Amino acid sequence: MRTPGEEAVTSDFVRSYVITGGRSLPTSEDLALHTLVTLAPERTLPLGAGPEVRAIWELVSGGYLSVAEVAGHLELPVGVVRLLLTDLSAQGHLLLRAAPPRHQNVDRATLEKVLNGLQSLIG
Amino acid sequence: MTSLIQDPLLWILIVVLAAAVIAVLRARRTNQALRRKKNDLEAGLTAARGEAGHLHAHIATLSAQHDHDLAGVRADAEAATKAVLKSAMGTLQSLAEEQQVLLDGLLKKYGDDTGVLADLMSVDHTGSQFGRRAKGISVLCGGWLGRRDSAASVYDVARSAQGRIKDFSRVGVHSQVSISIANKAVEPVAVVLAELLDNATNYSAPGTPVEVNIQAVPTGVCFIVDDAGLGMDQETKDRAAALLSPDRPVDITALGDPPRFGFAVCGMLAARYGFAVSVGSVSPYGGVRAVIRVPEDLLTPDVPQPEPVQEPGIEETPAPQRLAPVPVVGPSHVVGTTQGGLPKRRRRKGPVSVAAVPDAVAPAQDGTSVPASEVTASRIGAFARGTLLGRDNTTEGPQNQ
Repeated sequence: MRTPGEEAVTSDFVRSYVITGGRSLPTSEDLALHTLVTLAPERTLPLGAGPEVRAIWELVSGGYLSVAEVAGHLELPVGVVRLLLTDLSAQGHLLLRAAPPRHQNVDRATLEKVLNGLQSLIG
Repeated sequence: MTSLIQDPLLWILIVVLAAAVIAVLRARRTNQALRRKKNDLEAGLTAARGEAGHLHAHIATLSAQHDHDLAGVRADAEAATKAVLKSAMGTLQSLAEEQQVLLDGLLKKYGDDTGVLADLMSVDHTGSQFGRRAKGISVLCGGWLGRRDSAASVYDVARSAQGRIKDFSRVGVHSQVSISIANKAVEPVAVVLAELLDNATNYSAPGTPVEVNIQAVPTGVCFIVDDAGLGMDQETKDRAAALLSPDRPVDITALGDPPRFGFAVCGMLAARYGFAVSVGSVSPYGGVRAVIRVPEDLLTPDVPQPEPVQEPGIEETPAPQRLAPVPVVGPSHVVGTTQGGLPKRRRRKGPVSVAAVPDAVAPAQDGTSVPASEVTASRIGAFARGTLLGRDNTTEGPQNQ
């Protein structure tokens, strides 16, 4: 039945606004890109979970993963994944952990002292 | 004798007689002339009638010829119009597809910016509707839909269709089936379902739900669309039935103004790809029920992505965590707090059980109100789980939305 005029269609089959159900998206204040998420212990997959939620469930069940990584694996926009994660989090299925804070810059002199000390120990 | 001749009465009589003779003669002449004239006229009439009959026959021949020519011209014009439209729509289809692909990239690129993402989604939504229209017209003009490279689960087909209509948020998709539509039928089924959903949302009150239920049947899979509208009158039903089982190419100029392409598109695609579409039965909500039945040869058993993901869900569904509110494990349970704020526990009689049923009986012996409500909750929970498991005849676990 194929004719030369029939072209392949490559756009995403299920559009992202259907996945979100047209709901308004949460802001990045709740779940930053680098926020780490994992599955809370002894949780069961909600009955009405769609394919995307199931995929998230499997991804985060193995340990902490950042929001950005989850979005990358699912090949979905971060905002969409953030909404799904917010839902799961509101139902108590997720443990969230803010990314480790950036270390305060230790001044150069201290580092040099440590380095010198180590060299004197080893050398 | 003289008296007779002199009698004026006699003369009068003679004069009258003469006048009468003259009148009779005159009348006879006139009569003959009239008769001749009548004969002439009758002959003329016969000739004219013959002529008229001849002309009628000629007119009939000409008009038959004319009708035939007109039909030919119409068919040619229709074919020419369709060819032009098909080509033009093909261009629009390509552009719409290009835009969707572009938006896929943009949605991911600006995914972290909530405002931009929401705006892009509304652009995407409009683009999807535009693409559906272009595809519909193209199909009616003999054009082709795009072809997907992979099969798609029935749930995703329904959601893709949902995304192509205006009021998509009113649509709920419920699927108990984990089966996929073969790649060549993915777009056709999605387009037909989108047309049915468009009808369902347009002909029912705003805010009322439109449900898509996907059911496995012995001969394939059914997409059942129910709305809560006013239903269809007999005329609309007849029109729909005629368009849904087309016996010849659809006349696109006969679809009204503004044209109603929906059923014509459904009929064309169903006939071309070999699935069935029917409308006209009454939905449980009082509106229209439309059904697409996809036969087995357009289905594939594999589910592209969700298959591996589903495993943990199935294993854990009957797991005892859901019974957690009921004190199943442990020799005692909390019945309140002491005055010091510590939890007050009550010893459980009999052996500790991990099964739900004996445990449900045990608190009844205690006679306290708290366990009784817990038992009720547990029973209702167990009943709900039981009915869900019972309704779910596949081994994959329920995946209704």
